[in-house]
Amino acid sequence: MIKSFSGLSRRDFLKFCAGTAAALGLSDVFTAEMVAEALEAAAKKPPLIWLEGQDCAGCTISLISVENPTPASLILDKLSIRYHETIMAASGHMAEKARENTIKEGGYVLVVEGSIPSADDRFCMVGGNPFREIVKETAEKAAAIIGVGACAAFGGIPRGTPSKGVPLSKVLPGKTIINLPTCPVHMDHLVGTVVYFLVTHKAPPLDKLGRPLMYFGMLVHDNCRRRGHFDEDEFLTDWNDPKQRDWCLLGKGCKGPETYSDCPIRRWNSGINFCIDAGAPCQGCSEPGFYEEHSPLYAMGPITDRILAKKAAGLIPRKENT
Amino acid sequence: MGERITIDPITRIEGHLKIEVEVENGKVKNAWSSGTMARGFEALLLGKDPRDASYVTSRFCGVCFSVHQMASVRALDAAFNAQVPWGGTLLRNLVMGAEYIYDHLVHFYHLSALDYIDIMAIANYTGKDPELNKVKDKVVGLVQRGDTFPLTPRYKPDEFSIKDPDVVISAVKHYLDALKMQIKAKNMGVIFGGRAPHYQSIVVGGFTQYPDINQVARFRSMLDELATFVNEVYIPDVVAFGTGPLLSLAKAGIGGGHPNYLSYGSFELNEAGDKLVFKPGVVVGLKGTESVKVQPFKQEKITESVRYSWYEKSTPKHPYEGSQVFYLERPGAYSFVKAPRYEKTPMEVGPLARGVVDQDLTLFGLIKDYGIKPGAVARHAARAIETKKVVDAMYHWCDELTAAMTKPDFKIHDTVNWNPPSEGEGAGFFEPPRGALGHWIRIKDLKIANYQAVVPSTWNASPRDERGVRGQYEESLIGVPVPDPENPTNVVRVIRSFDPCLACAVHLIDPKTNEIRKFMIE
Repeated sequence: MIKSFSGLSRRDFLKFCAGTAAALGLSDVFTAEMVAEALEAAAKKPPLIWLEGQDCAGCTISLISVENPTPASLILDKLSIRYHETIMAASGHMAEKARENTIKEGGYVLVVEGSIPSADDRFCMVGGNPFREIVKETAEKAAAIIGVGACAAFGGIPRGTPSKGVPLSKVLPGKTIINLPTCPVHMDHLVGTVVYFLVTHKAPPLDKLGRPLMYFGMLVHDNCRRRGHFDEDEFLTDWNDPKQRDWCLLGKGCKGPETYSDCPIRRWNSGINFCIDAGAPCQGCSEPGFYEEHSPLYAMGPITDRILAKKAAGLIPRKENT
Repeated sequence: MGERITIDPITRIEGHLKIEVEVENGKVKNAWSSGTMARGFEALLLGKDPRDASYVTSRFCGVCFSVHQMASVRALDAAFNAQVPWGGTLLRNLVMGAEYIYDHLVHFYHLSALDYIDIMAIANYTGKDPELNKVKDKVVGLVQRGDTFPLTPRYKPDEFSIKDPDVVISAVKHYLDALKMQIKAKNMGVIFGGRAPHYQSIVVGGFTQYPDINQVARFRSMLDELATFVNEVYIPDVVAFGTGPLLSLAKAGIGGGHPNYLSYGSFELNEAGDKLVFKPGVVVGLKGTESVKVQPFKQEKITESVRYSWYEKSTPKHPYEGSQVFYLERPGAYSFVKAPRYEKTPMEVGPLARGVVDQDLTLFGLIKDYGIKPGAVARHAARAIETKKVVDAMYHWCDELTAAMTKPDFKIHDTVNWNPPSEGEGAGFFEPPRGALGHWIRIKDLKIANYQAVVPSTWNASPRDERGVRGQYEESLIGVPVPDPENPTNVVRVIRSFDPCLACAVHLIDPKTNEIRKFMIE
């Protein structure tokens, strides 16, 4: 038995693992001991390559927003981040060399942020090479491939631009890709999925869109704090009115009734808040139609009209108080 | 002809940037800055509900997140003729203040500091401080396990690298502490912003989160902790670096560039909006800190050149008129970034520009006392100094918000002007951490008819213009010492001092469908 991990006592380490599992929504799946064993077994830290294509680095900023485990322990203790343009010390040739060497070793986790241009490779070039080629080459020997954010998972906002951004699945046909949409990726979804892989060496159970069921198995609407007001037809029209503060945001363009994600339960940024609780409608950023098919974002449109029609037809049953 | 060095990718920045320099006799003789990624958000927005713009353009960049949301809602506010209530302005300013603190801390400690310290000097630390010894054990442990990623590989430490183990170890300790602080800053913003990166509650006309008094109290207590870190760790670190081991770099003005500075002004301190944290203004040809002549900023004087950019040929145009089509085969072009100019003159934007335009006493005092010239080190100093100004303003905004909330007519949103006008146009300006940002919108038949953004890194990272005059990154590299072409450390130091953010610097518009494809095939 390894006595310690990064200088922690065994007892503290198990506590850490239990805390990590709970924070990442894995405590139903794994015991603290399982997480502990996996992390200890990785005496050599698992290598990770993080590629950025047509991205905004928002998912990277999400990665460094995780409080448990802390970014310092993620970056220095838990993972061996061989290539990450926004974090790594090296630049230029030296950076590209680090990626090439890791590919030779194989067995790394590949995370991709951002879409891949399909209109012309020249819309995204890194180190003088088309991003598409970099993705294909790096995916070849990856042990797991994770597409983070709406762009890498489904094309996201760049899908509708002249560069015609496409998701990973279009560039890597036949490969298993774990999709973690939302814009940006939820910090817990990302770290939890990586920990899941380290414990089991497998992808978590996925839905037909490649999203882990443990995070995307439920509708936002079914866990929404404003659900009762939806059932009562109380729709917010004025953000200034304290009486309406918690009313349903459908009239402001909320896509929660057709969006799969655990946002209302998990919330964001250490559980401090999330879109709907801040009075902002859910824009359905975990769904493949985001962004273009979800426009208009802040008004009634095809999606909200459909939701109202379903409601009128009794297809969205009331959520009774329990 | 000197030796040509290409650094691609420039890492620890946002976006995809390539820098090429020509080195002769150990110094940079010529330089080229290229943005190497494009998406084309503006084309996507055509024909959409104008209110979508703030949400979509926020995704220009996730590092300096929500700054585009701010510029965008200001353009929309103007086009909708929306009157943002003071409560809405205060909430917007508070969440953007939180973004400033996070952004500047990450830039200094996590994106830049590694350029200035020889991290392996930690092994020589012999002090007794238990906290610092923990840091030493951590780094030495990484070395012993043979896995120091992502701290290595790196350029070889040079004459300017700080090697004093005591200084290096405390810098690394602060790197780790700042990792926690940048989370705290984001979490503070999320109290009202909904989530981060990419706040959710900033919309045309104001704000969506109706605040309660507990949220203000929580915000304030987190601000206390961050203010302590900014005042007692961040500013002293930057001053100690700049006036100590890096003083020779600072006095030489390495990375100075064109002495022209532009600020749009930002952050209302009063309801009338005539008192701002950052003043608007233009300074051309700065010569020292005495008798600085600040001209008023006039947006009509902005034009964008595409002479060396991968767009269809066009004369320089004001952003309202901007209607460019991609042309990837264009002879001589070398960047997706356009070249904005103010009265045909290249400008620097960002913290140093704001400090110069404001004639900030702390910054000018530091420059005078130590003989520092505008350049890479001065940029870091200006960034730290202005963080304190924002922190101080945030306390004021908390007080103002608390007072406003007690009034019976307290409002956060202009509900009357929430729906798009059938026609309209508006310009929105904001000073994000990285500098002057402008969005321009035209609305026709209730939809977006034109959308343009001229962003901070477009100003700084621009290629040459019609007259062949270099952009600010390029100009700032001229004369920079590169004694060893294998380790062009000074080049990346200078570039990173601007806090590059390239994803948003690259933008285009395609008014005619299928045009793009035609150009591609040629």
